[in-house]
Amino acid sequence: MGQPSLRKKRDLLPYALVTPALAITIAIIFLPMFQTITYSFSHYVLYKPQEKGFIGLENFKTAFTDPLFASSLINTFIWIVGIIVFQFLLGFATALLLNRKFPGRGIARSLILIPWVTPSVITALMWRWMYDGNHGLINQLLSKAGLIKEFIPFLAQTSTAMGSIIVALIWQGFPFFAIMLLAGLQAIPEELYEAAEIDGATRIQQFFRVTIPMLKPVILTTVLLRTIWVANSLDIILIMTGGGPGYSTYTLPVYSYIKAYKGMDFGYSATLAVLLTILLMIIVAGYVRNILKSQED
Amino acid sequence: MKKVIALTLVLLIVGTFVFAQGGRDKADDVEVVKFWYHFDNPETALNPLIEKFEAENPGIKIEPERISWDTYNQKLLTAIAGGYPPDVAQVKLWWQPQLVEMGALLPLDDYIANWDGKDDIHDRIWELTRHSDGKQYYMPLQMVILYLYYRADMFEELGLEVPKTREEFLDVAKKLTRDLDGDGIVDVYGFGIRGARGGHDWWGTFVLSSGAEFFDEHGNSKLTTPEAIAANQWFIDLYRKHKVSPPTTPSDGFVEVIANMKSGKTAMTIHHLGSAAELEAVLGDKISAAPVPRGTEGYWTSFGDEENAIFAATEVPDAAFKWASFLAEAENNAIWQKSSGQVSVNKSNASADADRFLKATTDSAEFAGVLPAHPGVSEFVESLWPALMQQAFAGQITSAEMMQAIEDHFAK
Repeated sequence: MGQPSLRKKRDLLPYALVTPALAITIAIIFLPMFQTITYSFSHYVLYKPQEKGFIGLENFKTAFTDPLFASSLINTFIWIVGIIVFQFLLGFATALLLNRKFPGRGIARSLILIPWVTPSVITALMWRWMYDGNHGLINQLLSKAGLIKEFIPFLAQTSTAMGSIIVALIWQGFPFFAIMLLAGLQAIPEELYEAAEIDGATRIQQFFRVTIPMLKPVILTTVLLRTIWVANSLDIILIMTGGGPGYSTYTLPVYSYIKAYKGMDFGYSATLAVLLTILLMIIVAGYVRNILKSQED
Repeated sequence: MKKVIALTLVLLIVGTFVFAQGGRDKADDVEVVKFWYHFDNPETALNPLIEKFEAENPGIKIEPERISWDTYNQKLLTAIAGGYPPDVAQVKLWWQPQLVEMGALLPLDDYIANWDGKDDIHDRIWELTRHSDGKQYYMPLQMVILYLYYRADMFEELGLEVPKTREEFLDVAKKLTRDLDGDGIVDVYGFGIRGARGGHDWWGTFVLSSGAEFFDEHGNSKLTTPEAIAANQWFIDLYRKHKVSPPTTPSDGFVEVIANMKSGKTAMTIHHLGSAAELEAVLGDKISAAPVPRGTEGYWTSFGDEENAIFAATEVPDAAFKWASFLAEAENNAIWQKSSGQVSVNKSNASADADRFLKATTDSAEFAGVLPAHPGVSEFVESLWPALMQQAFAGQITSAEMMQAIEDHFAK
């Protein structure tokens, strides 16, 4: 019973502790991921098991000539940019407001979280009924206010469907930015503002020279996280329009889902998912490199 | 000590995975039949039927599982591909080609030959549910035929006759589309079209009755003939040109179409007995029913079906057939329809005192049809038709392009 066994003990314990978490991660994340990659090189239509087989890059070739892939890609881009920009701006404004002292601030801070904690399914159904072109609340209000004469079928027109869903998602996700940025704001030492004031900085200068630089790490992380989440999210689109009208709200995850579970074409669906992952990884890698760079400055 | 705790933890977690596999106990020689269904309220009919069945067959236990309709087909196919399908499951006719192609179904011909109840099933149902390879895989469960719902009060108010032909239908739909309060906005639309998933039945009524055919008797597609394209154009025009269907049509699903009938937003739509009670509860005598109007070539309406299938992977085929055939016997089938709101598959259950909805159903029996037995039907119904129809409604593609895309899909 000497040093070596004690040393061995110490060496094994961390592995033992990590094993359960690792085993679960491998089982439910890495194995399916690996399987998806394999599928993407295969012809795999669920109801034609006898035709299943390796077909190399055939699926990828199909994707690059598939007009629906191109339009879904553009939609994904509009989807991400539209949502992130507005969620961020709205969240930031809310954070700044909540950072001021006013009566009832505590309650306001809790209330602001409601959209974020509401399950997506409920959010989607709620907005779907609010947008309804025959009995919907939004139409009722607009018409009572005299802004419209005829009800607008928000989710039934190709011109308004995407925008309408984006608005619902902005509503759902802006509290995340608000809360994260608020936490960031409160971590900025008061002295910095005092010093800036003594140096004669205006409010606007203080905002751009103190607030923004101090918040930069929070901003970069939250934007990165939300970009990944929003890019992957499909539940709200599926419930509100199911990708329609036509293909006007098909984003890549929606297309991939419909190909797999409505068309039962797991091969091509996996290819779409892999392409989305690659695109996201390129964006994220570039982004992370930028963060690291800016932190070195 | 720490090591012991850690090891125990690891063993516990690994153990759960290992032993979870072997957890099926086969005690007491009881045969368990796993049964999938997809409707709400098992209390109404399913639970009493299971009790009755288990009392009559002491050696068999039914293990029902409700799967939500939205993901039913997907879960069923995934379960089959994964090797663990249920023993018996509620199925639709249009899934049959896929299920047969996967080798998932147990042919039931031998069982049915020895089953006393076989002659009490309507002949037309045996005809429609037999697969194209000549084998019978499906046990009939319920049926329904789509017909035209119309607002009898509005017809009377405007002095209109129930339309018998496509032309009469358009004329009536135009007259029913009205601005009631003179504010320049249409308050009532003549016809509620389901433009979202599931709306192919509305489309089929007018397009498949007027020259379009998935496959003719020689197996050739007749979807892109001039007549077929014109028929499709006629249907698109209901929304685009004549505007007799609400502006929300492209996104209207079942819920919206029925809600619009209930609220008086639409004056006609197409559906089956399943919504009769709901509509009658709100509209009373104001709602009535008739067979769908005739197209240029004949009639077409959708035979809505529901059957039970037994899966080839089952270890209890005899018990599974007992359960499936039990549900198709007159007495039990009548109980089942209490929850489905649909029509019994048994001749002996045909009621003499049929109400107007049941009459519209039986009057349509002769010409009710089904989609072709082709593995592509499922994707056509689930995603292709809604996407194409919505694009055509939006003017993004022409009638010819839509029909060509459908033809291409079925040529695959």
